[in-house]
Amino acid sequence: MNALRDDRASAAVTTVVLLPLLLTVLAGVLQLGALRVAAARVRAAADLATLVGVNDQDDAELSRTGVLRLAGDAADVAREYFERELELSETLLAAPSSEIAARADIVAYPSAPSVDARTGARYERPAVRLAADVPLRTPVFGALAFQPVTTIGVLAVSSPR
Amino acid sequence: MKAVGEERGLATLEMTLMIAILVPLLFSILEFGSALERWLAQDAATVQAARYAGEIGGDGAEVRSLLADQLRASGIDPGAATIEIAPARVGWREPVRVSVSTEYRVAIPFLFTTTLPIRSSAISRGEVNR
Repeated sequence: MNALRDDRASAAVTTVVLLPLLLTVLAGVLQLGALRVAAARVRAAADLATLVGVNDQDDAELSRTGVLRLAGDAADVAREYFERELELSETLLAAPSSEIAARADIVAYPSAPSVDARTGARYERPAVRLAADVPLRTPVFGALAFQPVTTIGVLAVSSPR
Repeated sequence: MKAVGEERGLATLEMTLMIAILVPLLFSILEFGSALERWLAQDAATVQAARYAGEIGGDGAEVRSLLADQLRASGIDPGAATIEIAPARVGWREPVRVSVSTEYRVAIPFLFTTTLPIRSSAISRGEVNR
């Protein structure tokens, strides 16, 4: 009977004792999900920025020779649109979008073939490549003794067809 | 017999307590996971719509139709979504912004029921030389 009495309410006690752990796991899972959404947004921002950059064609060259060649400001256009896209997710970022875009490594390869000095990739068509480290707010991770800011690296390349 | 009866009563009480704690936890994970999945899907649809809006030069039935199809494929009712494409007409190399806003109802048993606003926006550049 003693053993039975000892077992009384043990499940309830275990549940209550484990409750902080369960809540911590829940918070961590939600933060991880939010981070995944934020990372997807940043990747989409980088993709769109390089697409816009690569659509910035040298019109005179195109009409004269029919050959696709990037305009001289393609990298600047990609940077401008990367900043614009990031501005839309400003609340998720741990740094101003202008600062992140300014630090991004954006290179335009106006003519092909060319070799990317950063990645070693060979481009058979004109291309715009964007590489950036984007710091994202992760306050729940911070509260759980991890980093309050998680930096994700993005790499996007676009070429015209 | 009395002790066994007490144990039975206690087990029921414990089970009730655990259900009251664990069920909301389980539903929180499911509901918020579903909300995040929906947010991802809506973001992806918005980006596609922004690209298309840039290609056709702004707002148009084609863009809205594409967006509606993408939202529907993700389980989002396009009729309940607020869609804004601004400006409605863009020229060569002008920015066009597509914004989609929906609401997602989160119901956690024993705790609360609320509505989460889910907003997505993307900017593209006009490719139509008018």
